[in-house]
Amino acid sequence: MLDATFNLSTTTTPRAFNGHTSIYLPVIATIEDVQVESKLEKVYDVRLPGGENLGHSPGQFVMVSLPGVGEAPISVMSSPSRTHDTFRLCIRNAGDLTNVIHKLERGDRVGIRGPFGRGFPIEVFKGKDVLIAAGGLGIAPARSLIDQIIDNRADFGRLIILYGARNPSELLFRDAMAEWEERDDVEALVTVDRADDTWLGHVGVITRLFEHIQINPYHTVAITVGPPIMYRFVVMELSGKGLTPEQIWMSFERRMKCGVGKCGHCQVNHRYACQEGPAWTYAEALAFEEAL
Amino acid sequence: MSLYILPKDQLSAFVEALQASFRVVGPTQTETGYAFADIVDPEQLELDYDTTVLPPKKYFLPQREVLFNFHANALEPGTGQLEVEPVFQDVTPTVIFGVHTCDMNGIMLYDKVFAEGFRDEHYMERRDQIYVIGIECLTPCDDASFCKDMGTLTAPPIYDLHMTEVNGSYLLDTGSERGEALLLEYSEAKMAKSEDMQLLGRTLSAKWPHFRHRLKMSRDQTPSLLSLGYDAHIWEDLGERCLACGSCTNVCPTCFCFDVQDELDINMEDGERVRVWDSCQLHEFALVAGGHNFRESKASRVRHRLMRKGKYIKQVHGLLGCTGCGRCERACLVDITIPGTLNALYEEMQLEPGG
Amino acid sequence: MSNKPKIAFFDFTSCEGCQLTVIDALQTHLGLLDLVEIVQFREAMTEKGEDYQIAFVEGSCTRKSDEDRLRQIRNQADVVVALGACAHLGGINSMKNRWTIENVQTYVYGQNGKEAYESYPARPISAVVQVDAVIPGCPIDRFEFLRIVQQMLQGRKPKLPDYPLCVECKLAENACLNTLGKPCLGPITRAGCDAICPTYGDGCEGCRGWHPEANFEHMREILRGHGLSEEDIDARFTMFNHYQMEHMGEDSPLKPEAVLSRNEALPSSDFAAPQEAD
Repeated sequence: MLDATFNLSTTTTPRAFNGHTSIYLPVIATIEDVQVESKLEKVYDVRLPGGENLGHSPGQFVMVSLPGVGEAPISVMSSPSRTHDTFRLCIRNAGDLTNVIHKLERGDRVGIRGPFGRGFPIEVFKGKDVLIAAGGLGIAPARSLIDQIIDNRADFGRLIILYGARNPSELLFRDAMAEWEERDDVEALVTVDRADDTWLGHVGVITRLFEHIQINPYHTVAITVGPPIMYRFVVMELSGKGLTPEQIWMSFERRMKCGVGKCGHCQVNHRYACQEGPAWTYAEALAFEEAL
Repeated sequence: MSLYILPKDQLSAFVEALQASFRVVGPTQTETGYAFADIVDPEQLELDYDTTVLPPKKYFLPQREVLFNFHANALEPGTGQLEVEPVFQDVTPTVIFGVHTCDMNGIMLYDKVFAEGFRDEHYMERRDQIYVIGIECLTPCDDASFCKDMGTLTAPPIYDLHMTEVNGSYLLDTGSERGEALLLEYSEAKMAKSEDMQLLGRTLSAKWPHFRHRLKMSRDQTPSLLSLGYDAHIWEDLGERCLACGSCTNVCPTCFCFDVQDELDINMEDGERVRVWDSCQLHEFALVAGGHNFRESKASRVRHRLMRKGKYIKQVHGLLGCTGCGRCERACLVDITIPGTLNALYEEMQLEPGG
Repeated sequence: MSNKPKIAFFDFTSCEGCQLTVIDALQTHLGLLDLVEIVQFREAMTEKGEDYQIAFVEGSCTRKSDEDRLRQIRNQADVVVALGACAHLGGINSMKNRWTIENVQTYVYGQNGKEAYESYPARPISAVVQVDAVIPGCPIDRFEFLRIVQQMLQGRKPKLPDYPLCVECKLAENACLNTLGKPCLGPITRAGCDAICPTYGDGCEGCRGWHPEANFEHMREILRGHGLSEEDIDARFTMFNHYQMEHMGEDSPLKPEAVLSRNEALPSSDFAAPQEAD
């Protein structure tokens, strides 16, 4: 039996915000490195003052600020196992703020608040086979979890990674993917909705990958991260493989303005995604009319 | 805590005495009705008011509030120096007179929202400086009120002082030590006698028949009614009528959702991050970067508001998100009302249980 | 500083009140001149530079012969901004579109008007050239003008409020004019002016254009409640927004009888149409 009933009221302890008590005040962090990941995404290594460890868990997010422009929630991409004096964010150029963030370079400053939210309950996953289905930019928060598992490989059973992107040019982390494909202890499958001339792999939406994997439903947990449209179909596949709603975790993207459960934007039914989410089990989500 | 008595004609002297040390606000007459505003002359205070467009929440969570100042190079964000300094605005000690019981219930909810979980010091610091002086409602504001249904016809325990008009005097109950100190230091109030208490009791019990019930169900039933009615037909009709104007939430004493925006000085270097009231009834409220809107239809937004009022807020904070004050009903130009909606839902659920 | 963006102001059919507001804004926010270099602004200066990156265009296009000048501006500028209701919507000028152009020319300029003065139905500048940003209003709001200039200088896409005026009106704690029996188009009009007209007791006339979810059907219902006829209501809907309403096609909330370009003499008016000098 899986024990998914961990404390729902868990929230992050507020960080010391420059010694002030305002929960809205960011700390000033420095961009240590920027890498172009694709046409739309860049990866940023961010250093908190004094190289303080972010202290996050996979699935949590930070609020990234550029005072004068705005603030937005961004999932942490690096795993706690690989986060020391910098943490990593994968940011898609998708809006007003991220458009400006994409112009930033090494040495530039950003405001950081967080980490916020309830990440994936990694303790619950220990000893289990872990299936991760990520779509699009969902691979970034999933990456945090994947690397955490890989770095503590003996604590977990099988690690199955299913990753779908719209087309080959939008695939992220191709180097990491190649590494995962190489490893004997990781089963990684990638698909694209639409192939181009260079693409020799799977073609079709992510659910098409499920026919290539077999899982032991008694022993598996599934985590899915991706665009809202994806969840319904992935959940159907997972249910078809015998997983119960308690064995399926999903991360919910919502508009967020405060990150601390006040501003109301991220509400899903009576829950705030920034506090009790963004990761919920499908069982929990089923109880929210609004979730799916 | 004790009960005091202050003759009505001594109220002005009380207000005047307070003005030396406090910002005093209260209901005042406007061209078209009443509004909470600064009291310059004690004669402006209209304790006999019916209702106001905005509840006194504007003193607790102002329409626009600076969270912090920043100094940055906004022409090339991220590249220059970046400094932030928190701001705790306007902490002038303030006495608010004449808060109706419905609005005190709204303040009680605010106190929970901003203190629970992450403590919002911007709210809490201001809250500490605000003294609430309630006034007992002896007649309903108008036909839009349904405080009796919502259980907000009595004063919740958040007031510093609470006044009831009895026979040409105000009986004042002290709800806090600082409230009692305020009364003793700034007014000529005397301890109430036992016959005053008797009169108070009679006045309070006599008021109830003046208020009517408008809901066809008890307020305890609204969470389950709303759960059952999630897929009811009424939402489509309400969504079709809704103007998506957000008036209902802006005038609501329990709505607290806000947006966060950056405002830049003309030098493009200094600026303020502010929070401003936001509304779940507006199109952008649940829109994420990339374009997905989690409440695209107006029907889903109207439903969300009702869900919050009658269910979600209670699940999170233990109090219903509606005080029955009637402001949203007065503000709505297309006759979307909370009692009307809940009653229609109740009827639909009787006819088609489960939606 | 030579690397300041060069900006220029142009006017077409308009009262030039929006440019006046810009001049006003420059007086209260002189720092703007540290950020941009104004190279052309007929209403404020005599120098005239043709080397500009941002063009602010006031006024609607009401003559075929104006189109070339607009296209020239578009070719020169990196960014074209419609300044005010006339450029943004067609504005007040588009009220003439209710009648055929010949009727209007005769009414305004007398019997020889058709030959003497060129005219065609008024249109927003976006009907002629691509427009990158809009500063709505009749006149524009100076703070919105400054905010949008700042956003453009930051390389951001300028953003207008997407919600109705009622939001700002409520925040100002105004009593709702519609509930007091005064027609107000606030519920369908885009916010951004801090509800200035309702704040001073006048109903909104929609000069900022409609917000994306404007509920015309129920706005009409509210206006009927004030005793307005269908024609009165259409007149209000088309006062600033004739061009938009006309181009909504089947979605237009106008009653068929008001759909426009009527080929009939204009109704008599209290205004004396300008007559040829005798």
